[in-house]
Amino acid sequence: MENPIYVALSRQEALSRQLDVVANNIANMNTTGYKQQRMLFQEYLEKPARGERVSFVQDYGLMRDTRAGALQVTNNTLDLALKGDGYFTVETLSGPRYTRAGNFQLNDRREIVDQNGLPVLDTNDNRITVPDGTTDLKIQGDGTVMADRAQLGKLKIVSFDDQQQMQTLGGGLMTTTQTPRPSANPQLTQGAVEASNVQAIVESTVMIDVLRQYQMTQKLVDEEHDRIRNAITHLAKAQ
Amino acid sequence: MRSLSIAATGMQAQQTNVEVISNNIANMTTTGFKRQRAEFQDLLYQNMRRVGSNSSDAGTIVPTGIQIGAGVKTAAVYRINEQGNITTTGNSLDLAINGNGFFQVTLPSGQIAYTRAGSFSLNANSQVVTSDGYLLNPGFTLPQNAVDISVDASGQVQAKIDGQVNPAIVGQLTLANFPNAAGLEAIGDNLLLETPASGQPVTAVPGSTGFGRITQNALETSNVNVVTEITNLIQAQRAYEMNSRVVTTTDQMLQSITNMK
Repeated sequence: MENPIYVALSRQEALSRQLDVVANNIANMNTTGYKQQRMLFQEYLEKPARGERVSFVQDYGLMRDTRAGALQVTNNTLDLALKGDGYFTVETLSGPRYTRAGNFQLNDRREIVDQNGLPVLDTNDNRITVPDGTTDLKIQGDGTVMADRAQLGKLKIVSFDDQQQMQTLGGGLMTTTQTPRPSANPQLTQGAVEASNVQAIVESTVMIDVLRQYQMTQKLVDEEHDRIRNAITHLAKAQ
Repeated sequence: MRSLSIAATGMQAQQTNVEVISNNIANMTTTGFKRQRAEFQDLLYQNMRRVGSNSSDAGTIVPTGIQIGAGVKTAAVYRINEQGNITTTGNSLDLAINGNGFFQVTLPSGQIAYTRAGSFSLNANSQVVTSDGYLLNPGFTLPQNAVDISVDASGQVQAKIDGQVNPAIVGQLTLANFPNAAGLEAIGDNLLLETPASGQPVTAVPGSTGFGRITQNALETSNVNVVTEITNLIQAQRAYEMNSRVVTTTDQMLQSITNMK
């Protein structure tokens, strides 16, 4: 008898988690290399009795929108934006991690590092050290790093078969159990970063939608509550 | 409701963004000022359904998991060491660096600070000092009866002394360079200090490989681009508003819960 309330509750729980995802998208509106996320829902069928079917809602997955974000020109030599697919590889103590955030810097040993201070790797899994006294640092479209026309190495830009299988770790980093393969045709732009691909308008409308649906479900719970109360009073009278 | 705190992190981050932008705009005409940029990163994620975990004994795996993020954080506010414009001032002790490098200045504590602001003047002892009176290092003293001073591109200082035919060499400027100039610590008054992140300074005469050249009678303006800053400001403000909308929405959802019969 209380099933409608539980069905509504399943929807409300899912909606509240969906708002968390939307809030995270909006909070990361200006985060370099951030990819917006979407909640996926499915019907969850329960058969409490023979011939009876109650369908609940379940959020079964989160999808990352892997489209490239807009290019934001910074004119900073070590700001790199990836167009199309591919990830930069950085070195951590627990193995390689992948990132789209190409706002790199030099550390005190003149190695190219990301914003977390993790060294960026080249195709031979070595760190890239920019020699002292370099006046002209160019990073070509395919990831080749040139210091005063001498080649220092090539950035390791990798692709994966299934990007949705990658796990986000925060700090723009991602990890996966899949084996990376070299990106077939990487396209790098120097002096720009990839802005987040969150679309403010879409997020706003999703947010309004979530709110209204939440309130509607609330209404349903309220009505259901009234119905049960009515039933109890009327049935009690009939006795 | 996690979304309340997520939106709060977003608002805090955008506030930092506006602060950085307003500091850039405020220092639009500060000599040698380098614009800064706030960089953001996503915070930790909570795994509600781990991606790649098994969904059945037959070995099928979850194609997309559920990872809910906890918001955003400011990762860094870094200086963009792009060359500023060089404007001529006609003042013979105004020196601009065209390229990499910093002037070294001795602070009253004896510590060395670094600056790109080359607006120098003379003190009571005819020594070259910054606008705060800190000595240039290595500095030079102008002879008593000098009528003119010239600094060439490689930092050699020559003075024309009244009554002498040939100009006298009175000093040689050097510049300091850092492996990671963005890692210097700003202490205000156009001064920067060495940090473990910046690495050890390397000094050389101006014009040597990797070092900039000196332009006399000129100053390096700030590298702030007003148009970019204003558009960034608009962006930051809108992002702030959007985050506050999330707070309102969450509040309304919470309200409908409290109004539950």
